[in-house]
Amino acid sequence: MMINPYRSTSKWLAVVPVLMMLVFVVAPVSNIFITSLNIESFAIIARQTTRNTVWFTTWQAIVSTILVLLFALPIAAITANFEFFGRRALISLISVPFILPTVVVGAAFLELLPSTIHRSALAIIIAHIYFNFGLVVRLVSTRWQQIHPHLDDVARTLGASRTRLFLTVTLPLLKKSLLSAGLLVFLMCFTSYGVVRILGGPARSTIETEIYFRAMQLGDVSGALILSILQLIVVAILISLIMQFSRAKSAEFAQTVYSRIRKPQNSAQTLIVTLVAVTSTLVVILPLISVVRRSILVGQQINFSIWRSIFTDAEIFKSLTTSLRYAVFTVVISTTIGLLGACATVYGSRRYKFVNLLTALPVVVSAVTLGLGLIITFDVDPIDWRGAWLMMPVAHCLVAVPIVMRIISPTIRDLPNGLRDASQTLGATTWQIWRTVDLRIIQPALVTAAAIACAVSLGEFGASSFLVRRNNETLPLTISRLLARPGEIIQARAYAIATLLIVACIAIVGLVDHLGTNKRGI
Amino acid sequence: MLECRNLVVTYESTMVLENLSIYIGTGEIVALTGPSGAGKTTLLRCIAGLAKIVSGTIHLNGEEITTKPAHLRCIGLVFQDNQLFPHLNVAENIAYSLRLQRIKQKLVDEKVAEVLELVGLGHLSRREVIKLSGGEAKRIAVARALVAQPKVLLLDEPLSGLDKELHTRLLEDLGNLLRLRGTTTIHVTHDQDEAAKMADRVLDIRNLMQH
Repeated sequence: MMINPYRSTSKWLAVVPVLMMLVFVVAPVSNIFITSLNIESFAIIARQTTRNTVWFTTWQAIVSTILVLLFALPIAAITANFEFFGRRALISLISVPFILPTVVVGAAFLELLPSTIHRSALAIIIAHIYFNFGLVVRLVSTRWQQIHPHLDDVARTLGASRTRLFLTVTLPLLKKSLLSAGLLVFLMCFTSYGVVRILGGPARSTIETEIYFRAMQLGDVSGALILSILQLIVVAILISLIMQFSRAKSAEFAQTVYSRIRKPQNSAQTLIVTLVAVTSTLVVILPLISVVRRSILVGQQINFSIWRSIFTDAEIFKSLTTSLRYAVFTVVISTTIGLLGACATVYGSRRYKFVNLLTALPVVVSAVTLGLGLIITFDVDPIDWRGAWLMMPVAHCLVAVPIVMRIISPTIRDLPNGLRDASQTLGATTWQIWRTVDLRIIQPALVTAAAIACAVSLGEFGASSFLVRRNNETLPLTISRLLARPGEIIQARAYAIATLLIVACIAIVGLVDHLGTNKRGI
Repeated sequence: MLECRNLVVTYESTMVLENLSIYIGTGEIVALTGPSGAGKTTLLRCIAGLAKIVSGTIHLNGEEITTKPAHLRCIGLVFQDNQLFPHLNVAENIAYSLRLQRIKQKLVDEKVAEVLELVGLGHLSRREVIKLSGGEAKRIAVARALVAQPKVLLLDEPLSGLDKELHTRLLEDLGNLLRLRGTTTIHVTHDQDEAAKMADRVLDIRNLMQH
């Protein structure tokens, strides 16, 4: 009965994102499976080394997830319930690790942790906790704030102590968001690549690093594919579970944030809030400080020449400009294509749900498998693009588009249809409605998506390790290469580059949170 | 004048409007009453061009507008929940339709100031709409619709949710304003008393349908 002003445009909006995914994801991934997979390679599953890799990947992901949840819960509790000095800054700060390039996190813990636990499972788990806890705090804290404070009052007046209140009311209401956040963290740790390559060493490999090792070092592409199928199945199951929980959550909670947040009521609460806030701040900044410190220290002497050298060394300067060029390309292309995809799925009928699924493929397939598919497929005439400069930024876009779409889509979906109706009755054409209502309201989400796409490109390591050529090395690849070489000065240069990336990520989180607090109205 | 003939509207196989016919003369204010779910809002949305009709015709000043897009109909609609644009302030909300017509900024400012004075809120032009009270938001929604100079104004329960004092005051102001400007109006309401005070004619939507 309703007239949707955009419905007829959905098919045109979907063309570019669908083509992009078909050409750069579906075709290369199908191609490697068709051309390189052989039945004999399935024997790899029975090998002890493979079983060890799968077992290690699984248990480190489970332990990391449990520890991330335990560490994040108290921080989510104080940010969801208490007003205190620096609350907003703390929320921004704990988001920084999640968008830091994985190689930077790896490098930070290589510097911070004692050398006795380098190349160990413990180092990997610690880095995974650091990398993911901010994500859990954000997800759980948001849900916690949606629990009506009157429910606490009801439980208290019915005789529940604070502990009983938490166990019988708060925790059950948070259960689904904790599960969904836990699954997301498990997914991140299960498919971890950069952190494991830097901190794991040859003895500690996950499925993702093993795919790289088999394909690039041993030349066993077929074996690598079997592993990537294994990973793909696990990831697909995890993603479908996460989507199921997200749907259940939205049905259960109103999209309202109640005024739960209050000042600590007594000295015990003040003490707990202070302790948790100070600890979490230290946890975030200590690894970052260790990176900065290492970038100016050579043999216990402060030496700023390292910093001069990263701008004068031709190779490093080249990778800096390459990273910036690719970041600009990724921001422009992935934001545009992500916007088109988001509009097509939200404005279109149910038929357009396939665009959503298709654009999630780069996440399901994993960056390493994607990189492998791209170099094998685009290495033959007439599409010999393997050496083309465009290949790596295209890979960055493929990783960024699903994220961009998932940032923009909820804002478009939540936009009340009544605003478009009002605009229409005031004389706006379809294009004018989109330009003056939709675009204006989604602007902050669009800038957020562009900023995150920039972070994705600056930190992308998985697909880039396959596509790198001598003349197109990006900053994370340079860090990884320099860290693998001996010499204090050379390694200090890697840390100076890592510092640059940290500054960029802090600026991006600052921008995103600034936009989040300044947007008007809805 | 506005005339709807034998309108039929269905929603998921349920008949919402069944052979509905209505005639409203130029400058007339008609109140439309009826129980919840009787199709009052649906009728307004059909007239405005925001809902599909299965059959029937709509004529405005002799021209058939049944399939004409909403933005070309010159029919204003004040929504029950106002639907003020949250990304625009009060003056920008009111100026919205004028800007679409690419009217010069000076003239836009004059018209906005004039209509704001008319609804008694001249002092709020720069205020963000999320900071308006219920009554203020309602007046701004009416002002936004009026400034576009619609041939017909549709009011969908414009006074619901307001406290009694504000309701009485706004009812009187709105009635005076519409009569002053001679705006053809359909006013949907649950409140028989409100309907009687505001309108030249009161119609029950159930009596407009032929089963």
